[in-house]
Amino acid sequence: MSKAAATKAQVVRILIAAGKAAPTPPVGPALGARGVKSMDFCKEFNARTAHITPGVPTPTLITIQPDRSFTFITKTPPTAYFLKKAAGIEKGTGRPGHETVGTVSLKHVYEIAKIKATDEHLKHLRLEAIARTIIGTARTLGVQVVP
Amino acid sequence: MFSLRALRRPPRQVCLVRNYAAKPGAPAPPKLSAKADATVPAVEEPLSSCAPNTVLEGLNYLKDQPPVLALPDEEYPPWLWDTLKTIELVDDGPGGKAEKARLRRENRKRIRDANFMKMQ
Repeated sequence: MSKAAATKAQVVRILIAAGKAAPTPPVGPALGARGVKSMDFCKEFNARTAHITPGVPTPTLITIQPDRSFTFITKTPPTAYFLKKAAGIEKGTGRPGHETVGTVSLKHVYEIAKIKATDEHLKHLRLEAIARTIIGTARTLGVQVVP
Repeated sequence: MFSLRALRRPPRQVCLVRNYAAKPGAPAPPKLSAKADATVPAVEEPLSSCAPNTVLEGLNYLKDQPPVLALPDEEYPPWLWDTLKTIELVDDGPGGKAEKARLRRENRKRIRDANFMKMQ
């Protein structure tokens, strides 16, 4: 069982603002170091996230083959981003469990769960399970969830 | 009149309606919840603190998506109102879910304590 020439496919996880990928850091060095032309990636990324409001953080998973070609997948924005927007705060607390910085209703949690359920790695879960994970995230942010 | 809803504590205190000796034909007896709004007879306490048609911020992250509005309480699935309660795991004997959850919790706590001690 010989491996094909160089290393196997590399995976890069990175959070990029939708529609705003640029060859500058942090995207540039992360990709350039692995031999990917960042300009190509940025063009394709911006095209694929054109339907999203610019500036929304979008987690992407870039798979780089040994021959320097790449494919990437975009996912829904992080739960923490949605919770902070819903609660109207900029940052979570530095002392979760001791400080509360915002409040969110179960209706917010439900709508966020509906958005997250469109993700590949969450599609198989019950909405109730996703909602509970969101409440867990709210706990670590210091955001209180009320019915 | 200034609504006393602002003073309302979170809903679901104790069972809501006390029935005294039968008073047929009288208006529905006032609820014994913290809401002292005597002018509105027997209004159902809403399940949610979020009134219908409130704008839910940040959820319309797609371009040109209309703002997401909260729906009336009835249009949400019933399990939603139980998500804030912790799930009680019934003991199903050795090898069951309850035991696995308990062991995982104990292991994690042991690791956390050990790490804490290493930091001292």
